[in-house]
Amino acid sequence: MIGLTYSFVLIPFVSTIFIFLIPKKRAELFRPLTIFLSLIPLGLCLYIFLNQNLKTSFNVVDKFSWISAYGINLTFGLSGMSFLLITLNCLLVLLSILSLNENHGLSKGFLGSLMLLQASVNGVFLAGDLISLFIFFEALLIPMYFLMGIWGGENRRYATIKFILFTVFGSIFILAGTIYTGVLSYLSSGSFALDFETISSLSFTSSQSKILFLLFTFGFLIKVPIFPLHTWLPDAHVEAPTAGSILLAGVLLKVGAYGILRVSIPFFTEGFIEYQFLIAILSVIGIIYGAIVAIVQIDIKKLIAYSSISHMGFVMLGISAGRFLSLEGAVIQMINHGITSGALFMLVGFIYDRRHTRRISDFGGLKQSMPIYAGVFLFTSFASIGLPGLNGFVGEFMILMGSFPTFQFLSSIAAFGVVLAAIYMLWAYQRMFNGKLIHEENKEIHDLNSKELAAVAPLLLLMLFIGIYPSFIESYVLQDVSVIYESINNILGES
Amino acid sequence: MNQISEAIGFNLIVISPTVALVITALILLFFTITIETKMIVKKVITFSGILVTLFCVFLKFGLFSQNGVSSYFTQKILLDEFSLFGNVLIGLILFLNFIPIWGTSYELNEKTSEAIILILMSASGFFLMVDAENLIMLFIGLEIGSISLYALAGLNRRDKLSNEASLKYFLLGSLASCIFIYGVALVYVSYSLMSVYDFALAIAYTGPDLIPLTTFIGVLLIFVGLLFKIAAAPFQSWAPDVYQGSPTGYVGYMASVAKAASFIVIARICMVSIRFILEDFEPFFFAVIFLSVLVGSFFASIQTDLKRLIAYSGVVQSGFILSGITSGVNGTSSSMFYLFAYILQLIGIFTIFSIISGKLSSNFEMDNMKGLMKNNRFLAISFCVFMLGLAGIPLTSGFVSKFILLTNLWAYEKYFLVSILLLSTVVGFYFYLKPIWIATIEKVDEPIETLLIKKSEYLLIAFLASLTILFGLLPNTLINISRWVVQNYL
Repeated sequence: MIGLTYSFVLIPFVSTIFIFLIPKKRAELFRPLTIFLSLIPLGLCLYIFLNQNLKTSFNVVDKFSWISAYGINLTFGLSGMSFLLITLNCLLVLLSILSLNENHGLSKGFLGSLMLLQASVNGVFLAGDLISLFIFFEALLIPMYFLMGIWGGENRRYATIKFILFTVFGSIFILAGTIYTGVLSYLSSGSFALDFETISSLSFTSSQSKILFLLFTFGFLIKVPIFPLHTWLPDAHVEAPTAGSILLAGVLLKVGAYGILRVSIPFFTEGFIEYQFLIAILSVIGIIYGAIVAIVQIDIKKLIAYSSISHMGFVMLGISAGRFLSLEGAVIQMINHGITSGALFMLVGFIYDRRHTRRISDFGGLKQSMPIYAGVFLFTSFASIGLPGLNGFVGEFMILMGSFPTFQFLSSIAAFGVVLAAIYMLWAYQRMFNGKLIHEENKEIHDLNSKELAAVAPLLLLMLFIGIYPSFIESYVLQDVSVIYESINNILGES
Repeated sequence: MNQISEAIGFNLIVISPTVALVITALILLFFTITIETKMIVKKVITFSGILVTLFCVFLKFGLFSQNGVSSYFTQKILLDEFSLFGNVLIGLILFLNFIPIWGTSYELNEKTSEAIILILMSASGFFLMVDAENLIMLFIGLEIGSISLYALAGLNRRDKLSNEASLKYFLLGSLASCIFIYGVALVYVSYSLMSVYDFALAIAYTGPDLIPLTTFIGVLLIFVGLLFKIAAAPFQSWAPDVYQGSPTGYVGYMASVAKAASFIVIARICMVSIRFILEDFEPFFFAVIFLSVLVGSFFASIQTDLKRLIAYSGVVQSGFILSGITSGVNGTSSSMFYLFAYILQLIGIFTIFSIISGKLSSNFEMDNMKGLMKNNRFLAISFCVFMLGLAGIPLTSGFVSKFILLTNLWAYEKYFLVSILLLSTVVGFYFYLKPIWIATIEKVDEPIETLLIKKSEYLLIAFLASLTILFGLLPNTLINISRWVVQNYL
């Protein structure tokens, strides 16, 4: 259906304008209206889910001529993987708006920035050519800049600038890669066409493929983030407001991994095979390093941020192994991590609203005053650790199984990451919830109210659902993964 | 009589924009000296003069469609795509700047007409400059334009910085003019030619290997004189002081008009005159671009004065535009796009500055932007649009211009240049986001004075901001225009 894809970008964008049009006096209307408006893209997801066959690889749906003199079009399309990520994005935006405290919920700017963020992230997942991928990849910096800058914590200036500069530094490599691809496309076909179809029909020499792979992957890896390039992430998470953190961990980190899956590997496979070992080493270092650093954190939000580095390391390990099972596991782990870390950041946000602190030592014995909260937190922790029956297990198991034949030593080490995850999550749980109520302030604290429960419940259900019935998600990523796998196999078969 | 005028190529339409502006200036002068007239009358005269000028530019298009590329007045005045593009650009700069210019001049009280006359004269000079085929004519146009600008910079006599700016601009500008005219002399020595077109023929005739050294030095000196006007490093030292010291309301005009005219002339010289020996100048241009990007980026990141920041960022942008112009046909076309987009953003930014800091003010500390978001949401958002456009974030014209420029440079295999320019955009994000942070995010405790904004200013800023976004979303038309400018050389 024409217009189906770009309406995922257009609807949130128009919603922002709507929100800004309401007069400031009617502040009580902001949140209900935004919730309603963010239901529309979700409804659209449902419509597509019911009416279209999405178990396919990437299909171009809409096309606009952008610069006709250079033959550059903006292309939008859908595949199973991008549909899942878009749905996750729309869902997380809705839930993060539901979970907002009064302070943020009454601000037009905050709600508008969230909607803009949704629009640009959707754009990345819909992009059918390099230029629109790049446009949305950079455009999402603008709402993120304001979300972190205006509503962030004490040290937000440093964190925001660091986040922006890291991303922009990465994106100039992507831009260079885009330009290089465009010129190569010009040399072979006479126009600077950059859509995925044209690129996949181009034949790159081995050195071109390596250079392009490095350019694109470096830019995306900063966003993932992979080990030595990760330092922006803990700062950004700690300073961002709760809703910003949810979306940052939930979908923004996936943008990087998505880019590698969509662009770097299928088009520049020779480069991938050259450098897959390097990426695998860095991801395993990330897994272990993130987990160890998470253990010693005193701030619960920072702990979850470092656990994100560890979990995204699993995703990158699965991708770098290049096996069918490991690639599938990586995509599933992307979705899972989005759900789980989104829920964890939301829960941290709830307790921060009550106590205005995130130091683990400021809590203790919370189980007595907040039994429901403790239960929800434990459930989510289990999902994050990878307890069988919950979603985290599925992805990590597939990744470790799948990558073992390629990197036996590395994936054996990576398996320790699961153990370390149990240590940092459960130890943090123990310190926060078990024991006696030492602090006076924690006695009066009230449990989750129904609104907050409603915000987190869908995520809990998804954790359980994916844990029990993972083949539902798997059926959607199957085609995407087989395209990637085939491109790897072709190159391996040739050599 | 008719035959004589035909033989020397007498055609009033070709120089009609210049003539219209000079006549308007003279009428204003007449009214100022003789009869006491109301401000509104002068305003109407000025505005209708500008409108007539725009109409004259339109007439030139008609002439161009009849005659094509042609020269007039015994090879003094040229009618080609570059001159038409330059005419449109300068006419547009004059038209768009009318509101801030008039507002600023109005505050000068007794000197209102003086300021307006200076501006009209300078615009007439720059029109002549982009039309000139003869290098002496080019010099005359440049001088008419520049001398008025020197005076304009120092128009606020009570302000020390304004005096400093004027003197500095005048001294350094005269030096640059000397260098320019010396270059013209050297070129004349080697070929006894003045016309930019004949020059190319002479080079083609002698062949690139037998060109006398005086020509090289002469062209180099001509470039130095022009690079001074666009504030490319190492000739940038005047720009920050002049931007900072001049009355804020005029800076938008001063910065954009000199840059537009000089870039057009540089593009024409590169594209036409030295087309066959352009490669010999590559090291020189590379050094200039490299220094511009480096010096501009470094100094822009440590400025606390916003006008100085924009001046240094202009040095970086000049490096960008120059890199396209000096690399070939497609590069030139993308530079023309870049120039157009950049000038719209520049005018918008200085209009906002003139509203916030007062039109006659000189220095403009970054802290003055504090609380803009609370004070006036519209101004804050459009300020963000212009700044992000300069930084080159997607969805603004700045991104499109950088993208096509870098694509063309890459196609010319200038990989090193592309990497330098790309790295400079990262630094650019650092210093462009700083004022945005102060304007929109930084919290203010003390109460803020509400800004007085006229409806016309609202309209102007909204128009420029929406153009910045429009050319980012739908750049097709402007790109086709910029390709039309170089169509003869494709």
